[in-house]
Amino acid sequence: MPALSDFETPNTPTWCPGCGNFGMSRALRTAYSELGLPFEKLAVVWGIGCHGNGADFTRCQGFHALHGRALPIATGLHLSNPDLTVVVEMGDGDAFGIGLGHFAHSCRRNLDITSITHDNQVYGLTTGQASPTTEQYAHSPSTPTGVLEQPVNTVGLAIAEGATFVARGFSDDVEHLTGLVKEAITHRGFAVLDVFQPCVTWNKLNTHAWFRDRIYKLEESGWDPTDRAAAMALTMTTFSELTCSPEECRIPTGVIYRETGRPTYADGLPQLTGPLWKQALTPRDISKALAEQS
Amino acid sequence: MQTDPRGASRPDVQIKIGGAAGFGIKAAGRTLARSFAQGGLHTFDLIEYPSLIRGGHNAYQVRVSPVPLHSHVTPVDVLVALNTETVMRHASEVVEGGAILYDPKTTSVDSLEDPSRFCLVPVPFDEIVVGAGGQRIMRNVAALGAVLGLTGYPLEFLTVSLRAQFAHKAPEVAEINVAVATKGFEYGSNAGCPFPVQLEPLTDAPPQILVDGNEAIGLGALAAGIGMYCAYPMTPASSLLHFLAANDREYGVVVKHTEDEIAAMNMVIGAAFGGARAMCATSGGGFSLMVEGLGLAGVSESAIVCGVFTRPGPATGLPTWTEQSDLRFVLHAAQGEFPRVVLAPGDRAQAFELTWKAFNLADQLQTPVIILGDSYLSDNRESLPPFDLGEVTIDRGKLLAEGDVGSIPEALDEAGMYLRYKVTKDGVSTRALPGVTGATQLVNSYEHDEYGYGAQGEEPANRIAQNEKRMRKLQLARKLVPRPLKFGCAADKSDLSIVCFGSTKGPLAEAVSWLAADGLCVSVMQIVTLWPFPADEVQFYMDRSTRTMVVEGNITGQLEGLIRQECLRTFDWHINRYDGRPFSPEQVYATVKEVIFGARAE
Repeated sequence: MPALSDFETPNTPTWCPGCGNFGMSRALRTAYSELGLPFEKLAVVWGIGCHGNGADFTRCQGFHALHGRALPIATGLHLSNPDLTVVVEMGDGDAFGIGLGHFAHSCRRNLDITSITHDNQVYGLTTGQASPTTEQYAHSPSTPTGVLEQPVNTVGLAIAEGATFVARGFSDDVEHLTGLVKEAITHRGFAVLDVFQPCVTWNKLNTHAWFRDRIYKLEESGWDPTDRAAAMALTMTTFSELTCSPEECRIPTGVIYRETGRPTYADGLPQLTGPLWKQALTPRDISKALAEQS
Repeated sequence: MQTDPRGASRPDVQIKIGGAAGFGIKAAGRTLARSFAQGGLHTFDLIEYPSLIRGGHNAYQVRVSPVPLHSHVTPVDVLVALNTETVMRHASEVVEGGAILYDPKTTSVDSLEDPSRFCLVPVPFDEIVVGAGGQRIMRNVAALGAVLGLTGYPLEFLTVSLRAQFAHKAPEVAEINVAVATKGFEYGSNAGCPFPVQLEPLTDAPPQILVDGNEAIGLGALAAGIGMYCAYPMTPASSLLHFLAANDREYGVVVKHTEDEIAAMNMVIGAAFGGARAMCATSGGGFSLMVEGLGLAGVSESAIVCGVFTRPGPATGLPTWTEQSDLRFVLHAAQGEFPRVVLAPGDRAQAFELTWKAFNLADQLQTPVIILGDSYLSDNRESLPPFDLGEVTIDRGKLLAEGDVGSIPEALDEAGMYLRYKVTKDGVSTRALPGVTGATQLVNSYEHDEYGYGAQGEEPANRIAQNEKRMRKLQLARKLVPRPLKFGCAADKSDLSIVCFGSTKGPLAEAVSWLAADGLCVSVMQIVTLWPFPADEVQFYMDRSTRTMVVEGNITGQLEGLIRQECLRTFDWHINRYDGRPFSPEQVYATVKEVIFGARAE
């Protein structure tokens, strides 16, 4: 089984000192390692953004996709070889901006893959513009007079559209995050893990300290993650009011919603019995289909 | 009034059924074609329909002949008018002495200026259906019976077809349909006017299939071992999605109707990464959304097949009509430079063959292969000998699907690490699929090094090495792709040499045979592979010809410009058509005669 150091590549991480991506990267590798996933079982798909540069720093069977399109790539990969464990890493621009449609539809499908979002409320790689999760009225180079939209309710969207595992993590708490990653990967169905990971260079509002002051762990509060309506209500009451004081607005982390037993997308495909490359070993006998054309 | 340039010598009959959308016009036309094809006759269909479900006008033509056909023709011998609009729209297409079948109760022929030029056959479609205890939708079945009666063709082929068609319903449904057809047949047989053309089944004729272009492409993909097909509905590609979806469980294919064409293209690329043979298809509008992903397939060296079936654009354009206006689009789509292959089938047999070959090319070259078609190819059926499944081969190129990368030392570095983008002489690197031991890699949308990492991708020497490696695949492609096809006279002996691509080949083949009967020697080159462009062959062909003409379905002369660019050659004449309709053999025949006899100046 790969040890933590086995995931290293010759490339040195280019993330800024203090970037939340370091904690996320560590949590992900630890989870892969502790789950005992051999290299040939795991495949990771990245979108484009600061998080995506992690593709260069992570030895695995990887695909560094287009901005916003990591989920369709992962879907095709998963359905072409259901034996693989497929993990998707995206930024908040990837998943909730340009790729929002793919995200919503992936939730609906309950694909047995894991969607992990690096949510730093800003476009880092393109130098600090507002992202779909930037707080309303926040200023940025692309919104100098303030963002007019309200932020995307990422976890609420996931619950509404049918994801069967919805959780939130924080990159500073690597141990907690590692546990969430392991739960997300072992969940059978579409697992959404939205991770707050502060951007120390461009986001001066949602800082490490800002999150630390507000975050609490759901599992310590006796939360029942099986109640879909309550989970939805929780996402409605907390996440779009990030300007309020730490005492007023507590931000829950942990598993918000979990549903087991719902059929996955692949469960509806009885013809999918193994890797699809095996369908192209020899020409198919299509004489029956041909006869139907007469 | 239409006339056929071949005069009375022609052996074929063209039957047109018209009515409102929702009357079952297409189903009737296909059933009629099946009745003839099962009797050994050859058929070629042409469907005309608007972009709506009810209320518009639909028409379906079936051309039938004892000799093989290459296209539709414009003149109509038998017009079945299920409503008055059909008479008003299509009577002008009917030849002198042609028959018009209509129900005087529902359809007026008052608009005919000179009814004596036609053989008017009143048939009480409504009364027949009511008398047999049927429903009004069965009027088309009564009409089919009447057509067979009129043309002297045995009814049994239709009744067999109807019983097969309704086999899954209650037995009385089929029997009511048969009764309706039989009654219609009696009316047609006893038509009060002599109809000159009679059709007979051929004895001992070999079996035939009936396929449209999308069915042929679907069959080609199935034969090639397709694992995943993804698409968003768009005319005229939708029926390919339906065809493959109907066959998915039988043949082990994952067929996904995606949220949009962006997802379709990217899922196909993901499936190709996993090792599946994967394909998407759409029309120009959907391809516009796929363009971003097409470039990803190019730089990531993904083996994918993409169908682009043109309808007239831009934007929503003419959704249900045809054009050849996306040639330049598919040649240049996506930013940056990468190798691609573009294949354009000219008929349904080629559509089958080029599709299974497209999957081999994609695997051998690890780059996108585009099948460029159009509505005329996609929508219309022709009768053909069954495809020869024994000719289908599978070549997956340099691929390691299972095992350990240790078995492909040519793709490893000194430390034994796998190099997904190893620089090679022919530009193709060995793929090791996810799941193979040691196949850690990074497939990358960024420029990348041999491992796939982007960090060193920006280095000038690396960029040059990877860029040149990818583009070298075009040299390999030149050795693998189908060559241009030639028919008619030899170029150096021809009165005129014509260059075309795609489905225009059909009307040209038809026209060339008519011109040959007139003693005119016309040569045609169909460019099958549009990219990499066969410049040497086209140039050689044109240089041997005394007079040249290009025929293509667009306003700007896209093929003409491409040949000027690649061959430094210009044509003496050109015909462009861009009214949404396919070329007709009559149009080509007339223009070629004008050119050869000097009546047409360029």
